[in-house]
Amino acid sequence: MSPAAVKVDRLEKTLGKNKVLRGISMEAASGEIFGLLGPNGAGKTTTLRIVCTLLAPDAGSVQVLGFDTMSAPEEVRRRVGVVTADIGVYPRLSARENISYFAELSGVADGELKGRVDAVLNRLDMTSFANQRAESLSSGQRQKVAIARAIVHDPAVLMFDEPTSNLDVLASREIRNFMVESRGRGKCVIFSTHVLHDAERLCDRVTILHEGSVVATGPTAEVRGAHRDLEDAFLELVEKR
Amino acid sequence: MKTLAIVFRKEMREIFRDRRTLIALGLAALATPTVLVVISQVSTKTATQTYTVGYSGDIPTGLDILLTATGLTLEQVADPAAAAKQQVDLGVVFQPAEIDEWYDPTRQSAQIADTRLQTVLGQYNAAKAAAALQQRGIDPGLLNPLQIKAHPLSSPVTAAGNAFLSFFLPYILITMVLTGGLSAALDASAGERERKTLESLLLTPTPRSRILLGKILAVSVISLVSAIAAIGSMLLALTQIPLLGTHVSLSPLAASVMVWLAILLAGCFSSVTLALGTLAKNFRQGQAFSTPLYFITIFPASIILFIPDFNPNLAYYLIPILNAVLVLRDAIVHNSVAWPALGITTASLVATGLICWFAALRLFTRETLLIRS
Repeated sequence: MSPAAVKVDRLEKTLGKNKVLRGISMEAASGEIFGLLGPNGAGKTTTLRIVCTLLAPDAGSVQVLGFDTMSAPEEVRRRVGVVTADIGVYPRLSARENISYFAELSGVADGELKGRVDAVLNRLDMTSFANQRAESLSSGQRQKVAIARAIVHDPAVLMFDEPTSNLDVLASREIRNFMVESRGRGKCVIFSTHVLHDAERLCDRVTILHEGSVVATGPTAEVRGAHRDLEDAFLELVEKR
Repeated sequence: MKTLAIVFRKEMREIFRDRRTLIALGLAALATPTVLVVISQVSTKTATQTYTVGYSGDIPTGLDILLTATGLTLEQVADPAAAAKQQVDLGVVFQPAEIDEWYDPTRQSAQIADTRLQTVLGQYNAAKAAAALQQRGIDPGLLNPLQIKAHPLSSPVTAAGNAFLSFFLPYILITMVLTGGLSAALDASAGERERKTLESLLLTPTPRSRILLGKILAVSVISLVSAIAAIGSMLLALTQIPLLGTHVSLSPLAASVMVWLAILLAGCFSSVTLALGTLAKNFRQGQAFSTPLYFITIFPASIILFIPDFNPNLAYYLIPILNAVLVLRDAIVHNSVAWPALGITTASLVATGLICWFAALRLFTRETLLIRS
């Protein structure tokens, strides 16, 4: 395995009265799709939010490409792109304007801006609706805008948090293809999902969370073991606890 | 500074594509001239309106001509006291040495008719007394041993116009600065949560303080544009519509003071409304949170209406909004600026704006902002 691009060490977090994370550790490397799996409420989103500096851990630490999320949050954000199921875009801006805005805020230089945005529009096959206002786009097109704005600054780490949960079959397949393509470009792709079937097809390695703790981690085939699929493996792991 | 400009530019682009904001701006520009036209017509109508006096008995010679000339129409009735309740504006019984009058003080028409009757009777009595004295060879000047010679310090017509502006302008300024930017402020704060763009925005390496400052600047600009559109259209309308028998205008000094106060108030209100919007989960909740602001901000402006000659000491100028109203009133009425008062007002509004900005920033950087959304 390559050196860890994202290193999570004994992470703990309480939200309100709920202890959401109970000492989670994991490592994800560049050039792999790393699955963060578990049922709803397992702590996947909270983990990702701490990794991308939106939340601060109560205990433990996170390093992204050598930068600590607490001491160098802005450096971490420069290197991370996040795609979530909530496809929030600015409805009165066009697809191109949405992407340009995030590129500028992410520090893409003026001279590079147009080229970078055009490249992303081409890569995601968005040129036909690039100048349409986001309010008139379909959910699949909006999801592409969300992906485009997350990758326009060319981050080394890409995190997908349940990215296909609101999408149809075709749009979901495009997202999966994009993750595979990003792995081929040497990116560290973290894929958080409760759909174990998707994870099994895509992920090189997985960590399974349950009630804020890691119940299994390792290469996908290893975690599945002798079970028919990851779902059976997961159910047995949970029942043991 | 660059990221600040990026956020500002994007917010302005969104604001000017938002129909709600454009409609609010249009209404701001149209509302005050419309109100002025109505005020002008009502005041003209009141001045030329004739009122009916229901009377019985014999009218003293010549008095009927005076009353008619003053816009009082005489109508003979059987019972003036009963008629004064609804049928006519005043009820009068003329007796040889006395006049009995009935009127309903709750009716404005009765009050105006009463004032006119009193004025006419005063003049009639004075003329009669002077004629009687002259017949007896006595100088009628005896009736007025002390003559008053008035020396108004400014034109009474101009003063009346300035008094009107001093009531009206602070209201418009405060209302328009607040409401003009409210929709934009809520859209830029609660709207980010509602349409789920907040998380992506906070994921950028741009410091949150700059994001917030860019939003405050954009909202301040739209508040200012709204206030200037409303006041500009009002002043333009005043050059065309006569009020109180004259064309009322604002002096350059008062206009400068007003623009300065508008800038300060816009900064303050933008920070407050963005802070409230940040607390809200969606646009509608943001509107609910902002509703009390209308009462809080309009109350100080009302003081000028109820106590026109309110002349407070300098400590009062520490109270935000009230201080702006007082400074603007003084600039309009006296066409002068008390610099210590303006200095304290400026410091107070800047301090209020900064406190609100820090509050908004604290709210904007709290984890619960994301967890609740």
